[in-house]
Amino acid sequence: MAGVKIKYTKTERARQKKILKVSLRMLPLFEAMEKSLIATINSIAENIERIREAIEKNEKKATPWVAVMSDSWVDINSFISVHEIITQPVDVAGVRVQQFERVDFNVMPTGEETPLWVDDAVLLMQEQLQLMAEIKCLQDQIELLEEELLEVRARVKLFENRRIPNAQMAIRKIGQKLQDDERLTIATAKVVKTKKREEAAS
Amino acid sequence: MSNLVYLMCSLPSLSFGQSPPISMEEFTSDAKSQLNRKSFAKLEAIDIQNMSLNSTKAELKKFSAMFTGLKEDISEIRHAKTQRRSPRISALPKTILAKNPFEREMDILKWQWEELDSIEAGKTFTLTEVLVYKLKLQILTRLDSFNTEKGSKILASVVNPAKKKEEQWQE
Repeated sequence: MAGVKIKYTKTERARQKKILKVSLRMLPLFEAMEKSLIATINSIAENIERIREAIEKNEKKATPWVAVMSDSWVDINSFISVHEIITQPVDVAGVRVQQFERVDFNVMPTGEETPLWVDDAVLLMQEQLQLMAEIKCLQDQIELLEEELLEVRARVKLFENRRIPNAQMAIRKIGQKLQDDERLTIATAKVVKTKKREEAAS
Repeated sequence: MSNLVYLMCSLPSLSFGQSPPISMEEFTSDAKSQLNRKSFAKLEAIDIQNMSLNSTKAELKKFSAMFTGLKEDISEIRHAKTQRRSPRISALPKTILAKNPFEREMDILKWQWEELDSIEAGKTFTLTEVLVYKLKLQILTRLDSFNTEKGSKILASVVNPAKKKEEQWQE
């Protein structure tokens, strides 16, 4: 409120009351939004953790046979690559984000002379790449939700620390000033009345 | 004949599972210096990685049969997988079907090795023995390339391209 000049009028008091009313109504909404965003971010983070565990599980499962991937006959890199990550826009906690759908792969067909292990490796890599793409989408979602959370938190702080206390203070000050003015008017009127009565008596 | 004897005597013996005691380049250079042009051409033509050998010549017929049997079985395993049925393989041992990809590859190589053993049986100091030697050396070279640490790195680099770039940068 510092630096802001208050107009000590009834109109201004009414305006400040309206600001206070709106602010008190908006604050719980923003607080709920903040909670919802935090809960959503936490849930996405948990989801990422679950996917990471699945990736690790797949890696562990493949450990007994991963040695074949260094086969001098095969360059497994040439058998699989990501063509496109398909996503769909959805609203999460009021924020538009991209939800993971699937991954389109470029898979080179295996020939008669391609070792059998390549089939298993391609399947494993497809699964892992799919999970990694899902993590990337979820991380992007968290980024967007965190940006929104920062904005919402700023608004909550604005209402809690500035708008509501400022409006309350302005209403109080205007009220005091208006009361003082009223008292002064009444006192002045009484003085005038007494003086007039004394003049009439003398 | 004497050159063949000399070549075979000068080559180190091979056993399944060992590291290749001689490189393919060394073997090829030795063979080139000892074999006549016709025999060396036959040696160059045979390759365990390229199983398109389709010969009716006596000394290559057995190799051709081995490659065909392997190709047909691999093809059958793939078809059965897409059709979700159990494969009917004829050349390879049925035990390979229940194993993990590494064990399966090892079993296939072991099967090839044993087939080569039977092909060269009683063919001492013949071109067949040299041809078998080359194929066995190829098997050993391939076996030697199987490495868990390297394999894990390759898997990680395909799955996580950022890691791959990081490794390339470190190299």
